[in-house]
Amino acid sequence: MLSDVLNPDLFASAIRVATPLALAAIGGTICERSGVVNIALEGMMLIGAFFGTAATLALQGTAVGPLAAVWIGLVSAVVAGALFSLIHAFASIDLRMEQVVSGTALNILALGLTGFLMESFYGHPGSTDAVRQTLPQVFNFPVATAGSGILGTIWTWINTLLFSYTPIAYMAIAIALIGQWALYRTRWGVRLRALGEHPRAADTVGINVRRGRYIAVAISGALGGLAGANLALEQVGTFTENMTNGRGFIALAANIFGRWTPLGSYLAALLFGFTDALQIKLQLVSSAISVPPQFFLMLPYVLTVVVLAGVMGRAVGPAEVGKPYEKE
Amino acid sequence: MAPRPEVVEQRDWTGIAIKALSPIVSVLLAVLISSVIIAVFGKDPIAAFSALIRGSFGSMNYIGETFLSAVPLMFTGLAVAYGFRTGLFNIGAEGQLFMGGLAGAYLGVLLGGMSVFIALPLIIVAGALAGAAWAFIPAILKAKVGAHEVITTMMFGYIARYIVSWLVTGPLKAPGAIPQTSLIGPGAVLPRIVAVFPGLALGRAHMGLFIAAGCAVLMWFILKYTTTGYESRAVGFNPLAAENGGVSIASTTVKALCISGALAGLGGVVEVLGVQGRIFDTFSSGFGFTGIAVALLAKNNPIAVIPAAILFGALSAGSSLMQLEADVPIKVISIIQALIIFFVATEPFVSKWIQRRRKEVTAHAE
Repeated sequence: MLSDVLNPDLFASAIRVATPLALAAIGGTICERSGVVNIALEGMMLIGAFFGTAATLALQGTAVGPLAAVWIGLVSAVVAGALFSLIHAFASIDLRMEQVVSGTALNILALGLTGFLMESFYGHPGSTDAVRQTLPQVFNFPVATAGSGILGTIWTWINTLLFSYTPIAYMAIAIALIGQWALYRTRWGVRLRALGEHPRAADTVGINVRRGRYIAVAISGALGGLAGANLALEQVGTFTENMTNGRGFIALAANIFGRWTPLGSYLAALLFGFTDALQIKLQLVSSAISVPPQFFLMLPYVLTVVVLAGVMGRAVGPAEVGKPYEKE
Repeated sequence: MAPRPEVVEQRDWTGIAIKALSPIVSVLLAVLISSVIIAVFGKDPIAAFSALIRGSFGSMNYIGETFLSAVPLMFTGLAVAYGFRTGLFNIGAEGQLFMGGLAGAYLGVLLGGMSVFIALPLIIVAGALAGAAWAFIPAILKAKVGAHEVITTMMFGYIARYIVSWLVTGPLKAPGAIPQTSLIGPGAVLPRIVAVFPGLALGRAHMGLFIAAGCAVLMWFILKYTTTGYESRAVGFNPLAAENGGVSIASTTVKALCISGALAGLGGVVEVLGVQGRIFDTFSSGFGFTGIAVALLAKNNPIAVIPAAILFGALSAGSSLMQLEADVPIKVISIIQALIIFFVATEPFVSKWIQRRRKEVTAHAE
């Protein structure tokens, strides 16, 4: 029974589950580093998932073909997420609206808009049609044949752990590494951190606070959109109503747990991903131990609270996060 | 140089006028924009909104349905508003509502054989306590380690839903195929308004309406005339100043989130005792989240929560007729809600901008 749970699939599925959380969490990191709270990641994921699916569905029957269509769907998801996030940027930067309020409005808007458009386009609530082709696995190495001994087992572990993912899963890892480097090793990163820690000082030395924050919010929207694309175009293959199911909020917790760093966010998301993957595996074998599935399903949410409760020490975010900046 | 008094007075009046008008203008703008969206999809917005209005206020029965939908929103609206007044964002009112509903469904079966005069008050208080208890852990975490209540109360919302989902499929499941609890006993049923006041034929609307309105008045009183309310407002207004003045931020935070949770819990228990008679997975259609819109529209004023909740209740009650007659998806209601939140929340900016313009104009004239 142990091998039913502890096998390479468990770790690979942890990475898969972590991918949308990590992307959204890194989006949250970049946004909050610039001084803007973004609780609308949930909505941005939802918008990305919907428009990614809609673009794919619209193009897959044309000369473009189903494979190119799903790639265009990915791009559409990113663009849609970024555009949608501009509403939050405008509200919190230019209108100086309470940022959690604007975020809440966007979450409700995303839920309403995707539901409304889905019914208007496809004629039924619940979910869209399925896309003909999801984003394909990047590598397709041969699997070890049965009875190939210890070498076969090793190859199965390597193949599953390293080469069994779809494109966005690899992108998320790359984005975490590049993001970490950019935040601490580039001019852009120093400036971004300055925006969230001391915008007035940043302004004094000639950094455009407004533009910097707009860009950060748009990046977070783009990453939220990409996270949505992962859910809809890699994991499920269709858009279903409210398919994000709180992931945007879990991602925010991952960002905090990762101490507002891209790499930390990824690793924290991986912890959530592992819990969720374990939960799914345990459900499969739980008939033997008769634990209600709901207890497994609530695990990621419980873990989020435990993490925020500061089992790893108190987390301190950017000093000026959530405060609008007013030029004098 | 002292400012000229008439200028000051004039500016104040503008401010008050903008504050008073902004909810109305916000609702109208939201209706306007959603009309455009409806029209873009080839449906008739006038037919849609006329159906919406008839479906919510067109007859005594429809008005009753509007009140019926408004009651849980009054409770969650008050819950969110009380949090906001203390500077806390209780985004998880939904979870506290589920726990209140759960307490109501469980005790409604257990005590349903007793007299209404004993069972009802007991169960309603228990529902409030259940909601408060569900807010207690996020409250403690906020007060002790600064864990952001937006995330923790949201997570507790999901956990509550899974607990209810487990109980209605397992330990508390009523006999039969549907995952739900057994029907509550007669002593636990919150009577319909028409049963108490035979002249008011308001369909299914129940006495919870008056409990909700009473809570609004009570909350207004607490905020205005009690130490707890004063401390809540002080912490919400300026936590550091409040602490310097001897108010404990931590204990005020815990108290306020628990009061907020109790109000949301009341919404759940009243919905179970007055409408559903039991609890099941989908017993709330997002009451906790709509409560955020209600609180914002009411500017966190407990008395203003009553009309704000009736407005959102009307949207939800009228939406089915709108879908039936004008073929507009019900989801458009969420779009309207989001737009209302947006426009109401821009009010401080707009009013500042108008006042600055006025000052410029006045300065220019002199």
